[in-house]
Amino acid sequence: MPPVGEKINRRSLLDVLLAIGVVGWLASVLFPVLRYLKPLGVQTQNGPIKLKGEELSKLEKDHSVIVRAGAARIVVFEDSTQQLRALSAKCTHEGCTVQYVPGESVIWCACHNGRFDLDGRVLAGPPPRTLEKYSCTRESDGSVVVQLGRGPEAA
Amino acid sequence: MSAPTGGTHPEAKGLYPWLDRRYGITPLIEFLKHKEVPIGSHSMIWYYLGGITLFFFTIQLVSGVLLLAYYQAGESTSYESIRFITTKVPFGWLVRSMHCWSAHLMILSLVTHMLSTMVLKAYRPPRELTWITGFLLFAFALGFGFSGYLLPWNELAFFATAVGTDSMKAVPGIGEWLLQVMRGGTDVSINTLYRFFALHVVVLPLLTVGIVAFHLIFIQRQGMAAPMAHDKPGRGMKFFPDFALRDLLLWLVCLIALASLAVFLPYGPGIPGMEWELGKKANPLAPAYPGIKPEWYFLWVYQLLKEFPAHLFGMEGSQAAIALVSVLFAVWALVPWLDRDARSNRASPAFTDLAMAALVFLAYLTLKAWDIGGGDGPLPDVRAVARACAYWGLVVAAATVVFRFAMGSARFFDFTAAAALQIVLHGFLGVSYLAAGAIAVLLLAVSLGVRMLRSRNAARATVGGAPR
Repeated sequence: MPPVGEKINRRSLLDVLLAIGVVGWLASVLFPVLRYLKPLGVQTQNGPIKLKGEELSKLEKDHSVIVRAGAARIVVFEDSTQQLRALSAKCTHEGCTVQYVPGESVIWCACHNGRFDLDGRVLAGPPPRTLEKYSCTRESDGSVVVQLGRGPEAA
Repeated sequence: MSAPTGGTHPEAKGLYPWLDRRYGITPLIEFLKHKEVPIGSHSMIWYYLGGITLFFFTIQLVSGVLLLAYYQAGESTSYESIRFITTKVPFGWLVRSMHCWSAHLMILSLVTHMLSTMVLKAYRPPRELTWITGFLLFAFALGFGFSGYLLPWNELAFFATAVGTDSMKAVPGIGEWLLQVMRGGTDVSINTLYRFFALHVVVLPLLTVGIVAFHLIFIQRQGMAAPMAHDKPGRGMKFFPDFALRDLLLWLVCLIALASLAVFLPYGPGIPGMEWELGKKANPLAPAYPGIKPEWYFLWVYQLLKEFPAHLFGMEGSQAAIALVSVLFAVWALVPWLDRDARSNRASPAFTDLAMAALVFLAYLTLKAWDIGGGDGPLPDVRAVARACAYWGLVVAAATVVFRFAMGSARFFDFTAAAALQIVLHGFLGVSYLAAGAIAVLLLAVSLGVRMLRSRNAARATVGGAPR
């Protein structure tokens, strides 16, 4: 841009137009590249998840199992009173996968030693937020179902 | 445009005259003949470290291309092809072992090279851009380590990448976008591996070779930095053949050392963060396993992430930790401009001290990350670790002091003292790591302020006392 008070001559006008052209050209190159790199949205799963056979037997054996819900992972576990619970398995600190420690009745993240209680509240360590809670029930036929979506049950 | 004719007779026969007539290489040969490496009062060993780093990088290129002959990126092939390389392909284990060892040794020699540049103030004008290109190469080396780590698609790789990419969310504004672009989705998946693969074998090598070219051109144009006290042209060693042959001999020694290590310890020395057993295949539905740790040169960041509380100054702890790391890196990159004394060619022990303090700071965090003195229980005793590592941290601090006396650069200890104070407060008195750090930084600021005032008063006194 020419300094204020100076007359705009043909040269400076051409410079400005050239600059606009270069910026526009760069934008038209960069935009498709950036758009290309941004991953497609993943389908989010909202309906209930029914545990498969091998997941059920793992739950039976280890008192806990991690299941997939769309892109998310959910830890389903049975506490010391045989009550079924389900929490997001993604640690709120740096995204490692947490685990249920039956002996101590805590949810533990091995990466940076974060600890949560069985409702997902932070007990100790660096995690900044609670783990999301889901309602989990055992149906009359013995199958286990996790309800997804933020419902009133997450209280 | 007239063709270069060099210095040879137009009728002379042979390859050299042929090349010289076309490309004029005689001036280049003349330049090499007269090029000299300054001999300082300090050991010459520091001048070879860049060359050693370059040698290890060359090994990485060669062994990397060899690995590419069998490696297949994919959900059901990445892990399997690495296992095939190490168990079935003749000498496959050796190629992978060389690639891993050389990676670690390259980082080691690069960091030593950088620290020696810092201590000898080789970054001072006119060599600021040599420092900046070197800093970029350091960043690329970390990028190489991080992206290469994921390629075997084993458990360790999976969680290291989950944590490492997760810290991207700390970037203000574009954090979430950056996170998704790096991962190729909201979470780490095989899409992440595809992206890291492209980064590791195409993008980073091209960038590194380009920046290495600039780094070397700068060094050739300006010559190696002479030691401060010897800035007047003094003794020199002929670059060719004296220095170049020493370089070559050292590379041979490095190759022998590398090959021996690769043969006798094919899966690394077994130090946490410096081992590359393939282990179990990555399973996104398995929890992180106890004792999971990143590579040794990332351990200090890992430990810092553990030391920060859930929230600090309205930020999430991990965000604050990453912000601190970014600030430290920025200060490190800008040292050639921050070091005013070295800029005007005066001794600057303060920045030698800063480098040593950085070493003590990194050493203490790394030792803590190794859980030294934590007992045999499943979970280490955090207080015992802090205490045991404090002893070793102070040993490192003492070693830097001895080193500086030996170097004759023992005049300024504020930074090292602050680093040591933090270790004492945290390790022996039980103050939290961050509070201990804050106290140390506060006292450091006071002492630096007093120094500044005193030197200003001294300057004023000189001006007032001697009106000339």
